[in-house]
Amino acid sequence: MEVLKEKVEEEEAAEREEAAEWPERMEKTRPAEVQKEETIMSQEMLRDLERKLSEIKVPIPAEPPAVIEDTIDISNLPPSYKTNTPKEQHLLQVADNFSRQYSHLCPDRVPLFLHPLNECEVPKFVSTTIRPTLMPYPDLYNWDGCANFVSDFLTRVPLPDPLKLPSHLYSSTTVLKQQKGNCFDFSTLLCSMLLGAGYDAYCVSGYGSQALCNMDLTREVCPLTVKPKETVKKKEKAQPKKYTIKPPRDLTSRFEHEQEIKKQEEAKAQEEKRRWEEEERLQEAEKEKPDPLHGLRVHCWVLVLSGKREVPESFFIDPFTGRSYSTQDDHFLGIESLWNHRNYWINMQDCWNCCKDLVFDLGDPVRWEYMLLGTDKPQLSLDEEEDEGLNDDDDIEDLDKETEDKSFDMPSSWVEQIEISPEAFETRCPNGRKVLQYKRARLEKWALYLKSNGLVCRLTTYEDLECTKILEIKEWYQNREDTLELKHINNSTGLHTDYFRPGHPQALRVHSYKSMQPENDRVMEFYETARVDGLIKREETPRTMTEYYQGRPDFLSYRHINFGPRVKKLTLTSSESNPRPVVKITERFSRNPEKPADEDVAERVFLITEERIQLRYHCRDDHITASKREFLQRSEVDSKGNKIIMTPDMCISFEVEPMEHTKKLLYQYETMMHLKNEEKLSKHQAWESEQEVLEILKLREEEEEAHTLNISIYDTKRNEKSKEYREAMERVMHEEHLRQVEAQLDYLAPFLAQLPPGEKLTRIQAVHLRDECLSDFKQRLIDKANLIQARFEKENQELQKKQQWYQENQVTLTPEEEDQYLSYCSQAMFRIRILEQRLNRHKELAPLKYLALEEKLYKDPRLAEFLKVLQ
Amino acid sequence: MNRIYNSVEPRVMDDDMLKLAVGEQGPQEEAGQLAKQEGILFKDVLSLQLDFQNILRIDNLWQFENLKKLQLDNNIIERIEGLENLTQLVWLDLSFNNIKVIEGLDTLVNLEDLSLFNNRISKIESLDALVKLQVLSLGNNQIDNMVNIIYLRQFKCLRTLSLSGNPITQAEDYKIFICAYLPDLVYLDFRRIDDHMKYLAETKYQYTIDELKHQEHVRQTKLEEKQAQQAKLEEHKMAFVEHLNGSFLFDSMYTEDMEGNKLSCLPIVGELLEPLTYRDKFVIICLNIFEYGLKQHEKRKLELDTFHECVQEAIQENQEQGKLQIASFEEKHLLNLSAIREESDLPSIEKKIVECSENITELFNVLMTLEMQLVEQLEETINMFERNITDMVGLFIENVQSLYPFCNDLENHHHEKLLEISISTLEKIIKGELDEELPDDVRTLFVDKDTIVNAVGASHDIHLLKIDNREDELVTRINSWCTHLVDKIHKDEIMRNRKRVKEINQYIDHMQSELDNLECGDMD
Repeated sequence: MEVLKEKVEEEEAAEREEAAEWPERMEKTRPAEVQKEETIMSQEMLRDLERKLSEIKVPIPAEPPAVIEDTIDISNLPPSYKTNTPKEQHLLQVADNFSRQYSHLCPDRVPLFLHPLNECEVPKFVSTTIRPTLMPYPDLYNWDGCANFVSDFLTRVPLPDPLKLPSHLYSSTTVLKQQKGNCFDFSTLLCSMLLGAGYDAYCVSGYGSQALCNMDLTREVCPLTVKPKETVKKKEKAQPKKYTIKPPRDLTSRFEHEQEIKKQEEAKAQEEKRRWEEEERLQEAEKEKPDPLHGLRVHCWVLVLSGKREVPESFFIDPFTGRSYSTQDDHFLGIESLWNHRNYWINMQDCWNCCKDLVFDLGDPVRWEYMLLGTDKPQLSLDEEEDEGLNDDDDIEDLDKETEDKSFDMPSSWVEQIEISPEAFETRCPNGRKVLQYKRARLEKWALYLKSNGLVCRLTTYEDLECTKILEIKEWYQNREDTLELKHINNSTGLHTDYFRPGHPQALRVHSYKSMQPENDRVMEFYETARVDGLIKREETPRTMTEYYQGRPDFLSYRHINFGPRVKKLTLTSSESNPRPVVKITERFSRNPEKPADEDVAERVFLITEERIQLRYHCRDDHITASKREFLQRSEVDSKGNKIIMTPDMCISFEVEPMEHTKKLLYQYETMMHLKNEEKLSKHQAWESEQEVLEILKLREEEEEAHTLNISIYDTKRNEKSKEYREAMERVMHEEHLRQVEAQLDYLAPFLAQLPPGEKLTRIQAVHLRDECLSDFKQRLIDKANLIQARFEKENQELQKKQQWYQENQVTLTPEEEDQYLSYCSQAMFRIRILEQRLNRHKELAPLKYLALEEKLYKDPRLAEFLKVLQ
Repeated sequence: MNRIYNSVEPRVMDDDMLKLAVGEQGPQEEAGQLAKQEGILFKDVLSLQLDFQNILRIDNLWQFENLKKLQLDNNIIERIEGLENLTQLVWLDLSFNNIKVIEGLDTLVNLEDLSLFNNRISKIESLDALVKLQVLSLGNNQIDNMVNIIYLRQFKCLRTLSLSGNPITQAEDYKIFICAYLPDLVYLDFRRIDDHMKYLAETKYQYTIDELKHQEHVRQTKLEEKQAQQAKLEEHKMAFVEHLNGSFLFDSMYTEDMEGNKLSCLPIVGELLEPLTYRDKFVIICLNIFEYGLKQHEKRKLELDTFHECVQEAIQENQEQGKLQIASFEEKHLLNLSAIREESDLPSIEKKIVECSENITELFNVLMTLEMQLVEQLEETINMFERNITDMVGLFIENVQSLYPFCNDLENHHHEKLLEISISTLEKIIKGELDEELPDDVRTLFVDKDTIVNAVGASHDIHLLKIDNREDELVTRINSWCTHLVDKIHKDEIMRNRKRVKEINQYIDHMQSELDNLECGDMD
């Protein structure tokens, strides 16, 4: 190891030297470069330029190699990381020249970010650090997936100096390994992924706001808290038809109406003003302090241009947060330069108004100064764009080819292929956990299966900016066996709401409650298609229970139950439940199209304590009133002592169209009997509903307690059962394979090899062959037996020796030595026993094996024809 | 058939017998007491059992309008009769009787289960009306011809058939034959038909069945075609231009025109062709009228549809408003009533009752206002529609009347030519220059000038009359249609209004009386 380290150090030293020599070499190559320029510049300019250039000192990376996290093990990195190819050298020269000209022409602008050092202290051009890669995960095919992944996967390290460009730019592979980096590392990785996915993406070096550079989201509203705006559908007003009736004449005073409107408007305006002021005040309070370094903070982000992948409009992506911003956003204060894997452009536009006025037409040489001529952005001529677009589809494959095609092109990337292991992809954040602080909100994320209860995300919303008073908590779960998806806790009202995916054993969809105690306020919603009774929703208050149904064959759509106070039971011994007495049951039914409206009950009310039943029927299509009927259940006794079965005053009815048969007592009696039955059933239903609530609550508690997680059968890593099965299968396969190999072992091969090849066997040869083979096998069996015998004897001898030695020295032995001896003895005895067994087994099996081989040789196709004759 | 019943006196189905049966089979226990108290109306009875009653003649059943199930088994009935009114009947049991012919079942369209077991029937017939028939029991009869089975093919719902004990069952391929010809049958003679049997039957009678099917199909298509034609004609009639899409009118002109027909035999008359024949021209004009009529019909239909739609919408909206008013009133009213019940102070009760009745009056006013408003609105719309439809009809008539004169002109022209030819022919005949031989009856016309002129004139008159008649018919019919339509709309609207007012009044009366009852109850 030490040698290795020395070697590395030597290498580093050599590289450093090399780096120091750089400027000199630059000097040498310069004239040639300048001559190239002659065609463009006048002689005078050239001279002037030469003079100026000689004055200019080439900017050498000012800082000594920054204090890099010493954990990078560069010894394992491939050579492309440690050296530069001639082409890259050439590129670096070009870049240096470019940089010199630039600083000459724009002396007041800061130097460019062209070739920072990589982790091996080798200068590398920024464009070659971008390695376009398409990730094998479907989630990373779109820009938002990529951006979110990068922002989650890496941890932010602040720039050494927030006002200066960094001296180093690591390769994406190293950054991924370390899982941390600065904004340039973030952007390079993201840009590589986006280019791989086919986007027209660029790394942008420029200036950002303080919040942006420090990844400070505390002024941002959390995207999860923003409610999606409901699209208000405007009802299309039907075209008034020819015979549409005219509205009734309006007899109100128009003047009064106008006055009213005026008044309302005034009130509205006042309200508006007040609200506006309020908002203003709030915003004032939330406004951040002015940043003294505003506009100077260096930042790097990603620009995605419109055109490819159906991107309709160019936008920025902040790699820290993974959020997209419009190119007009206030956070982005200026652009120095931008680059992709092909070329490097300098912004020649004025950034006095942030990035709002910038035009991202990279083909316009007035606005964007490009570095390499070969790969010009063909944005100016629209016809070529399409061809380019077609070619760009297989950018990555063609990269090498293209570079050869053109006069001077960007060398291919020196960075190794970017790889993300499935484990790392699933874990996402370092250690699988990430916390983000937003304005009045805090977002925590966890990797799948990290938390034992399946928690993957928690959003805490606060009332105040300092985040002390919790307003509400939302927790997202995944892979829960009870299909719990989201838990929403409202701190101010104490209301808990659980949301479930389809598949809960009780078909639960939403459960909102304040306490898990039964007979409290709660609402349960169900997946009605999964339930036999078609229940959609059940609402409970301490005294009522309301159920909503859908799609039932009896057309029941609503049931409301009022409970009375619980009657105390005198006998304490009875352990059975004591249900609350039902006071009133209201049931509503939807229209049954098969019955006439006058016979189709719309609502029935059982007033159980008053012994009354009220019926309301459906309204006929062309009527505005509906029939009603009320039954009084009285079991009275008349003057003669006979039980009164039914009297006309026990049923009060109003009928829209009086019918003959309904007036009959018999009909009324039968209806009442039927209703009495129904009442019993409804009461039973109410009791069952209560029981079900209890059951669900119990089940929920158990589920919360256990919180088992589901593992997909396709998850080969976590699914223990399938893993075991797979391993067993593999073992079986392996054994099978071994057996096959054994079966295919050719006994005759060594003997056949002795014969001259290509000749046919004669009978004598065959017999000879067989005998030879058999005798050889016999010999081997004997050898084996001898070997075992020899070992057995050897062990025996040793043991005897040891025993002898023990008996001689028994007195002088220390307890440890005695122990040692004893353990040796037992081991030796074990070995001897095993050897004995083996020997015996061998003796038993050897003749059988011999016979088996003989049999086999008889059947061998090569010898069979000769040997058959023999027999 | 010697039955033991023959020794007993046959009984008549009189009122007492029916009452007794109804009473016995009606509701029992408590409900039975009520039923006795009130009496049961025959038309409320749903099921009636009259077995072993020795009935000879079915009678007195006309009151049982809603009867669903009737059992008349084990009697001595000889004819199926007196069942015409029992149209709701689903189940009819006439087994163990002396019926010889199936008859009198034409009105029982809802019948699903018919049992004629153990009778003397020899032919399956007169069942065409029973389209819903599912179970047919004809065992122990005298059916002896396989053709009867084919008759049963028309019952698409028939699943169970019983024919055991008939001579027909003696035939060796009886079962297979039935399975083949009634493939939808599930049970035959109380046993389920298995798939193997079905397969056998299918293969054995494949050709005959296919042929039968083909015939049935042809018949079906013919029927459909006829229906389609009928429908088209109906539509044309609605447009008042039926039979104008061809030479029908022209042909009808000649059907009653003896002289014209005779004259057309004249060789030169046949050649009265210019570029187009008289007939073709005539047909073209007819077609014009026809097309125009159809177009106008479409227009009128559209107009009527929009009108109906708008009126419906208006009524619907009005109803919704009314319902809303009533619902809000009822809510308030219920609260008030319960408050009154709980109140013990007499003056305040009275006050509240007064308040309630005021509420009722207010509701009445509101509902009536809504109704009056709707009436006004609808009246306006209806008047507008009436104006429009009358205008349309007027325009149609005008246009048609401007087209008919072309027919007349053609006819006149034709007449002139015909006359000319006739006279010239006459002259030729008189001169004896005619080359061709004329039929005798035609020759009789060419006697002198008057005769021929008269004949031609008569033909012309008949033609003109026909044309005028057609025109008049069209005009009168469309006019009557128009007036009928308008009348109907007015009448409907009036009916609707009356019904609504009646409904409102009824409701208000009920509410008021309920309140009064409450008052009385409180006063006691």
